[in-house]
Amino acid sequence: MNLVRAELERLSARRFVQLMVVLLVVAFAVTAATTLVGSHKPSVSELNSARGQAAEARRDLEANHQLCLARQNGDVVGDSDDFFPSDCSAIDPIRQDRLPIPADFLPGVFTFADQAEPLLYFLIAFLVLFGFLVGASYIGADLTSGGVVNLLLWRPRRTTVLAAKLGTLLGAVLVLSLLASVAYLATFWVIGQTAGLPGRLDGEFWSSLGAVHGRGLVLVLLASALGFAIATLGRHTSAALGALAAYAVVWELGARLVLEIVDAPNSDLFMLSSHIGAWLNGGARFYDEQICRGSTGLSCEGFYTMTWGVSLLVLLAITGGLTAAAFAVFRRRDLI
Amino acid sequence: MSAVIEIEGLRKTFQSLRSGRRVAVDGFDLLVEAGQVHGFLGPNGSGKTTTLRALLGLVRADSGRMAVLGEPSPELLPRVAGQVGAIVESPQFFGNFSGYRTLRLLAHAGGVPVSRVDEVLDLVGLHDRGDERVKGYSLGMKQRLAVASALLKDPRLLILDEPANGLDPAGIREMRDLMRSLAANGVTVLVSSHILGEIQLICDHVTIISQGRRVATGRVDEVLAGHDRHEFLVRVAEPERAVELLHAAELTAVVDGGALVVSGVSDPTVVSRVLGEQGLWVGELTPLRPDLESVFLELTGAYEHPSVPRQVGDSSLPQGGAVIDLDRGVDA
Repeated sequence: MNLVRAELERLSARRFVQLMVVLLVVAFAVTAATTLVGSHKPSVSELNSARGQAAEARRDLEANHQLCLARQNGDVVGDSDDFFPSDCSAIDPIRQDRLPIPADFLPGVFTFADQAEPLLYFLIAFLVLFGFLVGASYIGADLTSGGVVNLLLWRPRRTTVLAAKLGTLLGAVLVLSLLASVAYLATFWVIGQTAGLPGRLDGEFWSSLGAVHGRGLVLVLLASALGFAIATLGRHTSAALGALAAYAVVWELGARLVLEIVDAPNSDLFMLSSHIGAWLNGGARFYDEQICRGSTGLSCEGFYTMTWGVSLLVLLAITGGLTAAAFAVFRRRDLI
Repeated sequence: MSAVIEIEGLRKTFQSLRSGRRVAVDGFDLLVEAGQVHGFLGPNGSGKTTTLRALLGLVRADSGRMAVLGEPSPELLPRVAGQVGAIVESPQFFGNFSGYRTLRLLAHAGGVPVSRVDEVLDLVGLHDRGDERVKGYSLGMKQRLAVASALLKDPRLLILDEPANGLDPAGIREMRDLMRSLAANGVTVLVSSHILGEIQLICDHVTIISQGRRVATGRVDEVLAGHDRHEFLVRVAEPERAVELLHAAELTAVVDGGALVVSGVSDPTVVSRVLGEQGLWVGELTPLRPDLESVFLELTGAYEHPSVPRQVGDSSLPQGGAVIDLDRGVDA
């Protein structure tokens, strides 16, 4: 406990951590301020007009669907310029992800229910970057400056010292992420209430937002551990940054291109970014034209699914593997 | 006396792609007993710091046996770590922390009462500067802080690697007094230093390492006595004639400047008698006692070719590789 306390003090005193927190607050403040300035509380007439436009848009969708069905059944001969899909269920309003709502017709009005999720994704992206960089610099700087050696002279238990560092990092990042996300969402909720619209904040909305939030926090912790592990293996903060840049260029860009050229099936399965997306969104569908190759029917859509469970396993295996390797190497390494 | 540090047959090699395999420590032995102030000497690159790092579990030894306060190191070092204060080379501290905060942090990590921080700051002369940031400290102040961190645990064993680095003459003297005072209070001190005069003043025992091997160990006065060639500086009116007379009396003498250096003299009265009987009156008869520096340079071969710049690692072993162990005799 004493070691964790000491580590927490060191972590919070790091200039880089303080800088990243300031950047987070600035990004947060700029986003909130621009939202506040660009939004206004809609008047009754604006609301009535928006409701009317939304209802009309929904009616148009329904009418279009009915027309498609009628043409398919041969009941109506339509204008040849009109485009209808071969399968009318594709434009069935009931099967749409979302239907037009009044908020869609209120320009310059911030609606919390519509914007909360994209805003949360932005925060998660920042926190993932924050966790990775802070995790890498925390151990990287300590290894190069001799701080770890100093500590080991006091507590000559390498695994304990490294575990205390990692545990402190993950705990601190988790608490900061929780506080930041709660403050962030609360601020925008207040903006929605006072200078915009709250939107439809039912149980489904909150559970969906909560799920994204929870998955986002897991991703932030995984990124922090990954940065920490790579910097430990490479002895420097720059090792983690270099590994990240090399992975992005060599694998995500280079290998993706090669896999496409050689027509490798399901190439997205091999990309970490796909798994991150699948985990964060609760699953993902990817198009691959090879799936339908040789298929004659219209039922083949050419998509394959990546479930969040498999993606989580992949992310855990990579992070866990590198972290275990970091501990194993650190236990045996000469600290000079 | 009980052994506080025991090292037997320590061997450590470093391997790198660029420079290949390098033997840093090659079968090194060290014995430090309770209550000693033990000097640990060696030229740059001779293996001093590697030995200390291996002893403290910072580098993995290839082979050999080590024990600290009776516990095998590094396996059971955590058992006694609370009684061992150490600095290895120049420790780096967090620049944004004050000296006080640095020590308080270490006190937290090591479970030491925070009240001890003020005591050690006072001991190393940083009491009035403890609230300043470490990055504003001079090299000497950082060194004092390092020593303070080693003293924080109120250790039974203090291991100091080059503690006088960056200290001004007054600081060196304070460090010397501090070590004496610690030794008087029963703390065993192992100190490595390049300032040989300091080692001679502070230490009662010494071990000299060269090329990763022990070349001498024992009480400082005995190590010095072991290198005493029984030489005397003699001043007479006619040095050339005096040399002839001394040679005739089967003594070795050479003219050095305006004086003679006579060696192999067990009884100095022989010199004055031989010369006096022939009417040459001795104006000065001074024993030439070896100091630690001359012994160090002789044992490590660091002064073989004064005109050629010596390179790091150019030290050598005594002829035949004999180890002068004044506690045990001479090991071949």
